[in-house]
Amino acid sequence: MAQDEREKLMELSLEEKIDHSKKIIKEAIDKFGTEKMAVAWTGGKDSTTMVWLFRETCRELGVPMPRCMFIDEGYVFDEIWDIVNRLKKEWDLNVAIAKNTDVSDKAEKVGDMIRVADLNERNRREIAKLEYEEDAFPFEPESFVGNHLMKTVAMNVFLEDNGIKALSTAIRWDEQEARVEETFFSSRENPPHTRIQPILHFKERDIWNFIFKYDIPFCVLYKEGYRSLGAKGSTVKMADIPAWEQDLENTYERAGRGQSKEEIMGKLRDLGYM
Amino acid sequence: MLGFFKKKPGHKDGKDRVVVLGIDGVPCSLLKRFIERGMMPNLSALVQKGTLTDMTASIPEVSSTSWSTFMTGVNPGRHGIYGFTELRKGTYKWRFPNSDDLRSSTLWDIAGRHGRKSVIINIPSTYPARELNGILTAGFVALDLKKATYPESAYEYLKGIGYKMDVDTRKARESAEALAGEIDSAFEIRKKAILHFFDTAEWNLFIGVITETDRLHHYLWNALDDEGHPQHGFFLDFYKRLDGFIGEMYERTGDGVPFIILSDHGFTTIKKEIYLNAWLKEKGYLKFGKDSPESLEDMLAESRVFVLDPARFYIHTKERYPEGSVGPDEYEGLRRKLKDELLALEVDGEKVVKSVFFREEIYSGDLFDDAPDLVALPCEGYDLKGSINKDRIAGKGFLTGGHTREDAVFYINRRVSRKDINIVDAGPTIMSLLDISGNSFDGGSLV
Repeated sequence: MAQDEREKLMELSLEEKIDHSKKIIKEAIDKFGTEKMAVAWTGGKDSTTMVWLFRETCRELGVPMPRCMFIDEGYVFDEIWDIVNRLKKEWDLNVAIAKNTDVSDKAEKVGDMIRVADLNERNRREIAKLEYEEDAFPFEPESFVGNHLMKTVAMNVFLEDNGIKALSTAIRWDEQEARVEETFFSSRENPPHTRIQPILHFKERDIWNFIFKYDIPFCVLYKEGYRSLGAKGSTVKMADIPAWEQDLENTYERAGRGQSKEEIMGKLRDLGYM
Repeated sequence: MLGFFKKKPGHKDGKDRVVVLGIDGVPCSLLKRFIERGMMPNLSALVQKGTLTDMTASIPEVSSTSWSTFMTGVNPGRHGIYGFTELRKGTYKWRFPNSDDLRSSTLWDIAGRHGRKSVIINIPSTYPARELNGILTAGFVALDLKKATYPESAYEYLKGIGYKMDVDTRKARESAEALAGEIDSAFEIRKKAILHFFDTAEWNLFIGVITETDRLHHYLWNALDDEGHPQHGFFLDFYKRLDGFIGEMYERTGDGVPFIILSDHGFTTIKKEIYLNAWLKEKGYLKFGKDSPESLEDMLAESRVFVLDPARFYIHTKERYPEGSVGPDEYEGLRRKLKDELLALEVDGEKVVKSVFFREEIYSGDLFDDAPDLVALPCEGYDLKGSINKDRIAGKGFLTGGHTREDAVFYINRRVSRKDINIVDAGPTIMSLLDISGNSFDGGSLV
């Protein structure tokens, strides 16, 4: 998408942005139906807002709400479980938990070493694909292997097992520089499916305005100062004031996230590397 | 009265203590110039008491490699940090080495094993902080203060004073005034933190690093000699303030305690940036499947060579890479040819590469296999780059100053007679001053 078009979409009013998202969602439902579609829900502010948009749109169209996919990567904040369980009931959502239990069953706690030889064929194949040669890897969110198995593989297995043709995710252009090239629809391979990205044009500030205007429930951690929620243990507060009261425009939303690759790249670029 | 005070290790007689002040990217020649001009009276007085000399940095001459060499006293073939970027083994994906990748004991690890305490403030490439007998807060590239700092109490203090881990270079790119403001506030808070731990913590080894010098040089090197530059005064004034800080640190340290000042590389004016991957493309050594490649994942399998910053050449061998194209029988011929072609490379009639090293000439150790196959060093004024999306071989970037391997600085308030000092010698020197022996370093003690 051209830069000026992207900027124009990002400058729309909140209501115009909501309309645009609904249009994208309608287009997706027309094309894929809701049966073979899933909405990736993390319990975070962005994806919860996206789930709200899906509900509204489905209600307007008179079609059933697609199921939500929640990835349990083994180190989920209790506060995230609280909001997920609460909204599941209040909004009557069909939530499928995607979890790579073959891996997580082998660890009692974060940091435990998992032996590659103990895993099933699929997981061993994935590890071989990464060309990881050690006999064991740590069960932790920032471990290269652990992260891949618990997130990517868990998601791919869910998509494959359920024949999902379209998965909606809540990434946004302003979240990080690496995302500016993303489009509302984009096709993926392995497994083949289409990504629907209906809230790309929302800024962090828009999401909070949206949440307060429509009274959308959100995870309490934001109130404690978290700006962006990743895995427990690798996510920290940005400040002791609520997320929406922080200087959203001039600070990194994802700075509290563990070892953000994009952030390191940005810092290196500023000193002439990369 | 003194008997009421808790005895701190080494506090009494100055033995068993060493103080190191790191000044990232400060050239020895610049300090000598400022001393001559009378701009750095404190440093000038120190020179009377010891030795100020130039020093060579690591190869490549980047902060992560050079500081890692400093903090371990061994070459990259043993500590494993060859640069800020690497490819994930067996893939073409970026990876950013951090303190977990450092494979040799640090000076403070060793000191800790000998019961000595260390305070380590703002050394690049120490993030995330590892446990130590003492206090550490990491420098560039540190992302999160909590993970950058050990122990928790030090984090609480730093958080409380609004500690800044680095200049916000994003703001710095907006304007020179914004940069000056950022450098100013980062320098002030850095000094505050350094002096706080210096005065209140127990330590035998104290290392505090000022990194604002490097940022100042990268962005405002052109202000140094241009009296009409709006930040000329700021540049000179910054060095006066640095001199003030050197004086303050020395006064608190006292004559009896070894006091070292050092930098991790020198600096010079960038005449032009040289994009080595663009040169490789032009020579047919490197091919991408896209017009504007985003990473080496877009590289075609037939590629023979690629470069990672700043001038680390990797031969795309079948042995090392999943889609490698260069067989063992071709390796030697290819790297010799590359070396010759690099040494002959001219831009606008000027040679740009001063020297090219084969890896076995500069690296040795357990991590030798991870080393680049060749590393180039530039002729004065050329900044060698590993950018992958440039079409032309030479160009101008937004930085006005670039690193040099020569002309880093080493000062100690002792007589040093040895010449040809390299940053790898600093660690063994410090350990020797702490009377810790029996370690296998690549460098040698200067005292």
